Amino acid sequence: MSVKVEVIEGGTPHNTILITGLLGTLVCLYLTYLNVLTNTEMFAFFGGLAAIIALIWGSHTIKVLCSYGIGTGVPSAGMIAFGSGVIAMLFATRFGILAPIVALVLAAVIGFILGYISNNILNMKIPAMVQALTEMAAVGALSLMGFAALITGGFTFEGLTTGTVSMLGMTISSNQISFIGGGLIAVAFLLGAIAIQHPFNATLGPGWKQDRMLMLTAECGFLSMIVAAVMSFALISAGSAILSLIIAIAGWAYTYNQYIDLSKRDAAAWLDAKPIPDTEGH
Amino acid sequence: MSAVAAKPQAGGAMNPAAMAVGVVMLIILVGIGYAISPGLGLTALIGIIIGGVLIGFGTHFVPVGGAPAAMGQAPGIATGVAMLAAGAGLAGLFGGAWAAEQGLVVATVTGGVGGGLLMAITCMMVNFVYVFGMGIPSASGKVAKDPITGDTQAEFKSQGTEGHGLPFISFVGGVIGGFLGGAGGTLIYVQLLELYEASLPAMMGLPPAQVVPIAVAAAGMFAVGLFLVNAVLTAYNITGTIEGPHDPKFKRWPRAIVASAVASAMCGLVAILIVVPM
Repeated sequence: MSVKVEVIEGGTPHNTILITGLLGTLVCLYLTYLNVLTNTEMFAFFGGLAAIIALIWGSHTIKVLCSYGIGTGVPSAGMIAFGSGVIAMLFATRFGILAPIVALVLAAVIGFILGYISNNILNMKIPAMVQALTEMAAVGALSLMGFAALITGGFTFEGLTTGTVSMLGMTISSNQISFIGGGLIAVAFLLGAIAIQHPFNATLGPGWKQDRMLMLTAECGFLSMIVAAVMSFALISAGSAILSLIIAIAGWAYTYNQYIDLSKRDAAAWLDAKPIPDTEGH
Repeated sequence: MSAVAAKPQAGGAMNPAAMAVGVVMLIILVGIGYAISPGLGLTALIGIIIGGVLIGFGTHFVPVGGAPAAMGQAPGIATGVAMLAAGAGLAGLFGGAWAAEQGLVVATVTGGVGGGLLMAITCMMVNFVYVFGMGIPSASGKVAKDPITGDTQAEFKSQGTEGHGLPFISFVGGVIGGFLGGAGGTLIYVQLLELYEASLPAMMGLPPAQVVPIAVAAAGMFAVGLFLVNAVLTAYNITGTIEGPHDPKFKRWPRAIVASAVASAMCGLVAILIVVPM
C-alpha cells in the first residue's frame, strides 16, 4: 500500500553493506578479546571500531526503511534500534566469549518479532519492515557491545559490572565504578542512538548520495567514540584509554575532512564565508 | 523523511488473523515466563506487560503535530511521537524512581504525576509560543466542537490548514497521555528493580547492598529500552500525527494494545532471563 519515494541509485547494494558490516563488527568485537589473551587493555579501541562499523551498516538500513514514508520521522528508527538492542545486549553479556554471537541472534529474533508486529498487527505493510527492524536491533545490540568493550576492555557480565577503585593506596573491588553500575551504559546508549539516526536525517532529500551519508555516519561514530574513550579513563589503564582517544580523534578529523569534501562536491555552489570577518587593515 | 514523502495508507483497518497470532504469542511468552520463574519472575513479567500496555495506550492521547505543526498548519506539539512519548515517560520514570522505596502504588502514581506534569508544562509553553509568538489561535480541524468545553472550532481555523495550536481537548489528552506513560514506565522499572534486588546477590555472590547500583542501572536501562520500543510501535500505529483523544485515529488503540503487550512480554522475558540461573 505504501509508496516508495526514493530509490537507491548506484552505490554499493544494501546486501553488500549488510554482510561487510556484520562480519566487520564481529571481527572487531572478537579482536578486543586479545585483551584477555595478552592480559592487557591495549586492544579496547577495537570495540569503538566495531561500534562504528555497526553504525555505518545501521544508518544504511535506516535509509532502506525510511525510503518508504513511514510517517514517524527518522529518529524513531534509531530509538527502536537501540531500545530493542540494549535488551538483547545486556542479556547476551552473560555468555562470556559467545556474547557477540548471542547478542546478534537474540537481537535478530527480537527485531524479527517487532517487525512482524509492525507489519501485520499494526498493519504498516511496508515490504522492507521486517528485515530492517531485524537488522536494526542487531546493530543496536552490537554497537552497544562495541562501546562496552571500548570503555571496559571486555564484554562479559563480570567485566561490565565490576570495577576497581583506589583509596588510600589500596585497590578495592567496587560495583559502583563499572559500566552498568555507574550508569555509563545510558551515555553509551544515547551516543549510539544519536550517531545512528542523524546521518540519514541530515542527508536525505533529492541530492542524497550514499558515500556522503556513510561518511557522515563514520564521522558521527568517531565523535561518539571520542566521548566514550574519555569515559574509558575511569575503567581501563590510562595508556589504553589514550590510545583509544588518539585513534578516535584521528579518525574523526579524517572523516570530518572527507565529509566536508563530499559536501562541497555535491553542493550546487560553495561560498567560503567566514564566521568572523577579518578586521585587519582598520 | 522528505516533505513530499507519501504517507503509508495503513488506515484504521484491523487484521484479525494477525491480532489472534499476537494474542497466542502473548500467551506462549507468559507461559515461558511461568516455566522459568513461577514466582517473582512471573509477577514481574505481568507488571512489565501492564506497564507496556499503559505506555502504548497513553501515547494515543498525546497531541503530536510533527513538522506541519511547526509551520502552524496542523494542531499539536511540533515534534514526533517517539520524542514526546520518550520525554513524558522518562520524566515520569525519573520521578517514580525517587519514590521506588515507598511501594508500588506510590511509586507508580508519582511516576504518572511526573509524566503528566511534563506534558502539562510542554502543552502550556507550546500554546504560549503558538498564540503569542506565531499569532495563531487554537483550533481543531477534526471536530466541529471541542468535546469538553463545547467551543466551536471552525471560525478560528485558517483556510487550507488542518487546524492549528493546541485546543483544550488536546491539552487534556496530553496530560492524560503523560500520566499513563509515566505510570507505565515506572511500573516496569519498579518490577524489574524488585526482581533484580532479590535475585542478583545470589547470582553474583555479593552482599545485597553491593548489587544495588547494578540493579538500579540494569532496571533503568531495561525500562528505557522497553519504553522506546513501545513508544515507536505506537508511533507506527498512528503513522505520524494525532490530535488527541477526539481524533479518528484514536480508534486504532486496540491494535496498539496487542502490539505493546506482545513486544513488552518478549522484551520483559529477556530482562527476566538475565537473573535466571543457568
